[in-house]
Amino acid sequence: MNTDRRSSIAGPLVSSSGEGLAVCARRLRKEFDGIVAVSGLDLRIRRSVLYGLIGPNGSGKTTTIKMLVGLLVPSSGRAEVLGKSISGRLKAPSVGYMPQELAVYPDLTVHENLDLFAGLHSVDPKTFEDKEMSLLRMIDLEGRKDSLVSQLSGGMKHRVSLACALIHEPELLFLDEPTVGVDPELRVGFWDYFQRLKSLGRTIVLTTHYMDEAVRCDVVGMMRAGTLIAEGTPSELMASASASSLEDAFLYYARGALD
Amino acid sequence: MNMGRTLSVSRKTLRSLKHDRRTVGFLVLMPLVLIALFGYTFGGDVKGVSVIIVDLDQGSPNGSIASSIINELKGSKTLKIVEELGPGGSDAKTYALDRIKDGGVWAAIVFDENFSRDVMAALSNLRHGLPALPSTVHFHVDATNPNIAQAVYGEIQRSVQIVIVSEYHLVPPIAIDEDRIYGEGAEFIDFFAPGVMGLAAMMVTFMLSIISFVHERTTGTLERLLTTPVTEGEIVAGYALAFGFVGLIQSLVILTTAVILFQIQIAGSALLALLIIFLLGVGNQGLGFLLSSNAKNEFQAVQFMPIILFPSILLAGVFWPLEAVPEFLRPISYFLPLTYAVDGTRSVMIRGWGIDHVWLQVTILVVFAAAMLLLSAYSLKKRR
Repeated sequence: MNTDRRSSIAGPLVSSSGEGLAVCARRLRKEFDGIVAVSGLDLRIRRSVLYGLIGPNGSGKTTTIKMLVGLLVPSSGRAEVLGKSISGRLKAPSVGYMPQELAVYPDLTVHENLDLFAGLHSVDPKTFEDKEMSLLRMIDLEGRKDSLVSQLSGGMKHRVSLACALIHEPELLFLDEPTVGVDPELRVGFWDYFQRLKSLGRTIVLTTHYMDEAVRCDVVGMMRAGTLIAEGTPSELMASASASSLEDAFLYYARGALD
Repeated sequence: MNMGRTLSVSRKTLRSLKHDRRTVGFLVLMPLVLIALFGYTFGGDVKGVSVIIVDLDQGSPNGSIASSIINELKGSKTLKIVEELGPGGSDAKTYALDRIKDGGVWAAIVFDENFSRDVMAALSNLRHGLPALPSTVHFHVDATNPNIAQAVYGEIQRSVQIVIVSEYHLVPPIAIDEDRIYGEGAEFIDFFAPGVMGLAAMMVTFMLSIISFVHERTTGTLERLLTTPVTEGEIVAGYALAFGFVGLIQSLVILTTAVILFQIQIAGSALLALLIIFLLGVGNQGLGFLLSSNAKNEFQAVQFMPIILFPSILLAGVFWPLEAVPEFLRPISYFLPLTYAVDGTRSVMIRGWGIDHVWLQVTILVVFAAAMLLLSAYSLKKRR
């Protein structure tokens, strides 16, 4: 994977200041008690791109995202997110993060959860009201605004969690497995929403297990054993592996990485 | 520190309590029941202790002194005289003792045949400057409960004193003049109501805090909060405000209950007393937070409670004064924040002291609260 190829990927360019990288990581490494989770990862993600990180369990996707949102301190290496170094704790207000675990408050209502995250991002009340309405519509929970999250189904909880990551209209979104437990119909809705966010100039970095979803990303990064083994548009990745599916392509690159 | 974000954390904390009706009920009722229970059991005087009186006194030419004392005893609320046996029955004494032994009565008060005569003889000897032997009232008692034995004994002493003074115009040569500098009219309930306030606030803030944070840690919400612009300090402060507020509400419940049910007196500023409790609550919230990082789940969290609570209940002067704590344990007493909270609120409520007198207690609690909060925020920062 060379950078030239990546630069040929056409995302709608954000005017003037937006030009540049949303994420830029150099030789990022993270060890936990001697176990290497991420080993020397180089990652460059342009703005206004829908970027999918795919790979098996334990390939370092979540650890990578946790370092990028500032929850984990890299053992070595450097990274910049929206132009800010992640060495200090990342407090970039324009980053949104949806963790893999639900991480919403079950003993609060949907509205109260959203209100909390809006408050933490200092969203003003008027903007919040409008934003809440449209998000509830998107996650199809308009009627459950005042239900306790603990009373919702697993998929609904997941949708609330996504809404919490979006309430402050972040420029850059990290979504760790955003569509797990979401039924197919709603998944389509999610992807439409992601596309819409992207068309507004937002950058989305997500991890997924579903190859049919990965195909819908602008750029896919394949991770294995803590490092990127291939990167490119889905069609490019399949073409150079002469594979008919991303899954086969992944297996092809994984073998290559072993040799 | 951003106030908006801090208050967001406080609001969410109080909101999740609000949805939990049972916990709200517990938070309000627990202190209410606590103070009522303690108030009624500890605060009440001993009343209606069943006793038998055996009067074998044959009197003197001036009448029976035993009868006068018995009359006095009959007027006492402490005693309930279930039987009064006269000189007729020769084995009245044996009978009375048996009644005590089989648990029928608590005590028997026995006057011997020569009681009045001995008293008169002693009085006459005293008048003539001759040595005199005291006459004896026999007091047989089941002292299983020292409080009861003490109460009956006190009642006998009082009655004897009154009869001697009123009928024989003899005054004890030494009188003790008691001048209550503080606590005029104070009863035991006044002493321990401040203690119960502190204890309840401490128990609840610690419990709420440790459980909430273990929950936050295990569900990943705490991590998620940390990816937003909110700072560690704001999270900790937000929680402290919320739980401090809960502690305040509880103290208000206790104060109101104690005033209504037991007419406790509040000599000083109730506001200052509440402030002291608030500081204690904030500090304990921080302590709960710190310990929560050492608990893997709620069950482990609960295990911390007795470790923290028992020393405080026993050694902080809630029910027993610090003077009753053995010397070698006292360093622990002085190490417990509750000690200062209880001493502070007590001084304010009974002695009517202001901040100029309790500044030391307040300062210690401020330091405790600040240290706990700073350590909490620091431990959050360190955890990555």
